[in-house]
Parts: sequence; structure tokens; C-alpha cells
Amino acid sequence: MTDQRNDPTSLTGAYALNALSAEERAAVEARLTESESLRHEVTELADTAVLLGRAVAPVTPPPALKANIMDMIASTPQLPPLQDDTTGETDATASVTEIAPPRPASPSTAAATPPSASTSAVGTAPTPAERRAQARWFTKPAVALASVAAVLGLIIGGGVLVNTMGESQQNNQAADQLAAINAASDSQRAVSEIEGGGTATLVWSGELASAAMIVDGLPELPDDKVYELWFIGEETGARPAGTFTVSDDGRTLRVLDGEMHAGDAVGVTVEPRGGSETPTTEPIVAITSA
Amino acid sequence: MLKLVTRETDDRQDFESDAPVTQDQLLARVAQGDQAAFAALYDQIAPRVLGLVRRLLRDHAQSEEVTQEIFLEIWQTATRYDSTKGGASTWIMTMAHRRAVDRVRASQSSRDRDTKIGIRDYDAAYDNVAETVQTRVEHERVEKAMLRLTELQRQAVSLAYYGGYSHSEVATLLSVPIGTVKTRLRDGMIRLRDELGVAS
Repeated sequence: MTDQRNDPTSLTGAYALNALSAEERAAVEARLTESESLRHEVTELADTAVLLGRAVAPVTPPPALKANIMDMIASTPQLPPLQDDTTGETDATASVTEIAPPRPASPSTAAATPPSASTSAVGTAPTPAERRAQARWFTKPAVALASVAAVLGLIIGGGVLVNTMGESQQNNQAADQLAAINAASDSQRAVSEIEGGGTATLVWSGELASAAMIVDGLPELPDDKVYELWFIGEETGARPAGTFTVSDDGRTLRVLDGEMHAGDAVGVTVEPRGGSETPTTEPIVAITSA
Repeated sequence: MLKLVTRETDDRQDFESDAPVTQDQLLARVAQGDQAAFAALYDQIAPRVLGLVRRLLRDHAQSEEVTQEIFLEIWQTATRYDSTKGGASTWIMTMAHRRAVDRVRASQSSRDRDTKIGIRDYDAAYDNVAETVQTRVEHERVEKAMLRLTELQRQAVSLAYYGGYSHSEVATLLSVPIGTVKTRLRDGMIRLRDELGVAS
């Protein structure tokens, strides 16, 4: 039933009550950055919803529940704080900055490495091939810092993209996952120009350990080549995260395979069909998430 | 004898409310990795979280599971909590509701919920397991405000919030167009906001 395409401003009540689909939710959130009055209304209605929650009679949890939870948190690292240096649209200030060379490890990169990196990272040292790949990744020239305007444009563009695809179930699934990432409370985005034309947009959530790449304007490749995505961590090197091809309009949404670790950069290379285990070519784009 | 009983009760309450540490302060300490503060915060708010989650999920085992997820999320993301965007309790209850709704949507049983049960549920009797004077007052205030809504507004808001139904499910349950539900949810929430004196 797609006959009702209401303006997000009419959805504030449903938004506060968590009665929206993930896509509608994302649409409302996209508008929040633009409209002060909408933000105001959503805040007030969300606070009202909390009062509905507080009107429910409390239920005393069994002691075992607390014991379980205390056990779990004792071994669960906390997420690194977001580096907020502005207010409001901070989730749009994802940095697409120069990737620091690994050798003289920049202090900011080190500081941004969360405790989870040491506990969840694979303990094995990178192979020489991976080291070479990594060295390439980390010596890429700087890419432009994503402007808030570009990010906003993207969110809206992304929404359109989601609506225009949907023929295949796979695309629907990817769109759903993108919506979920968008809807996550720690969702972040970064846009980068691609060498040779086009843009790449990375949307990710540390909470979901998940990322999606939206490319626009990428050239079609010959049949024996594919684009390949990589998660690149300082500890883990480049990890393959799936391949994709682009359609006629050069636009593709691809949810990355595997788990994104905090601080991972994401890059794209051109690889032989079927993909590679480690990058064999120079990346056409690399985006940092930390 | 009456005196004695009264004093005992008072002593108790005094003891418990002595040296009050607010949830906001506790959460700030949790953000620093303080597990004792986390335990104290849990003691304060877990009954409310579990109460709300169980209201939506009904199943006790699932409710405990979701409550566990919520507290794990509180622990992990306390570092990112922004106190300028509302108090700790607001943050936690918002998160709790969202998690409970996610679970309702994800579980197949909820999809098969009988329409009649859904309708009936919105004004179901309250569970009094751990009710206090404070929660009773809060409950009565909301109940009173709810009475100021139109029948359709009240049903729509209740089904969405306490039933975890999406707006399209609410539309089906109430046999009204989805556009109408959106409007009723917004109008109803705005009315509640005004009745409850919520202002940001």
C-alpha cells in the first residue's frame, strides 16, 4: 500500500509512539536536521510517550536477571564516545579525512580505538600481502570532508534510491538493512568523491556493527571485473566485504558483508570477477569511520 | 501500636531515600565504566523497564530477555548519552519502548495476535506487581489525560504505544484508513502533551 505518501511532518505522533516502519522513521529523522519546529514537536511528543511508559505499573525483576546482566556488562566493552564538537547535526559530521599512515600512528586514531578492537580483533598478524594492501590503503591522498549539505542531500537521495529499487527481493532486503542502519541511534554517514567520477556514501552503525555503501555515477565494468568492498582496520588489515556491479545509471546500494569493527575504514577496489581475498588494485575510494 | 507501625514505615523510607543519587548522576558514572553505578541505576529503573516491556510482550521470559538487551545497550551506549537531550529516565524508557516494539514486530506470534485481543488490550487492567504511590499517581494522571482524547485517538494511541502495533496495523484493527490513523496519533499525542503539561 504505497498510495499514502504523507509528509514526514504528519508522522510525528506515530514516530514518538514507535509506530512507523524503519523507512518512514528514517524519513522523519532526515527531516529533523532541517526543521527546528519539527524537532521541537518530536521532542515534546517523545517526552509525552515516556509518560505513557511511566504510567505502566512496574514489575520487580527476579534477582537472577540482575546477576546475568551484571555478568554480561563485566565482559562487555562500552562504545567509544562520539566526538561531538558541534551540537545538533553531529551525526552528520562523520569525517572523511586523510587516512593516517599506520607507521607514525596518529594519536587521534589510537585514542579512537575502542576497547572492543583489542578484544574482538582477530589475534593473527596480517600476512605480508595484507600488509602491502594496508600500506596502500593508508597512504591514499586526502579526500574531502563531507559537508553537512552533501550529507543531507544524500539522505534524501538515499530515500529516493530506496523507493526506486525494490524489484528484487535482494534489493528490498538491502533497502531494509539500510533503513535499519539509518534508524540506529548511532547511525553515521560520510560522502566521498570517487576517483574517476561518481560519489560513494557510507552509512554505518557501530551498534549494529553494520555498514552500507551507496555508489552513484560509477562506470560500468567489463564482464570479467567487479567492484569489491573492504573493511580496513589497523589491526586486521583489509577484510573482503562483498562485491558489486553497477546498473546502467551507475547506482548501487550494497550492504557490506561481515561485521564492521569500530574504527574500520571502508574502501572499494576493482577486482577480477568473483572478488579477491586481498586487494589487488589501488582503491578508487576509501572512507574512514572514526 | 499505630505509632510504632508508622515509625517503622517512615524509617524504612528515609533509609531508602537517604543520600539520593539521581539517575542522571548514576548514568554519568556508568559512562565512565562504573559498574556499581550501573547496578544502582538498574535497581532504580529495571522494574519500570520490565513493567513496560512486559506490557507490550506479555510473555514473561521474552520480557526478561528484552530487558537484558536494554540494559546491555544502556551499558554500551551510556558513553554516548547526551544529557542535553533529556534526562536519563527519558532516554532509558524511550530505548526500552523501542526495543520492546522491535521484539513485538520480530516475533511471529505477535503477527498472529487476534484482532479482538488487540482491541481489548488497550485498556487492560494494570499489573500491580510493584506499584508504588509514585507510579499510581503517574498512572492516574495519564489515565485522566487519556479521557480527554476522542475515542478513536485514545484507541489509536493505546494500540500503538501499549500494543506495539504499527500505524498500518492500527488502521487494520480499527478499520480506518491509514491516513486517519496518522492524524489521530498526532492529534492524540499533542492533546496528551498539553494535558500533561509537557514542554521542551
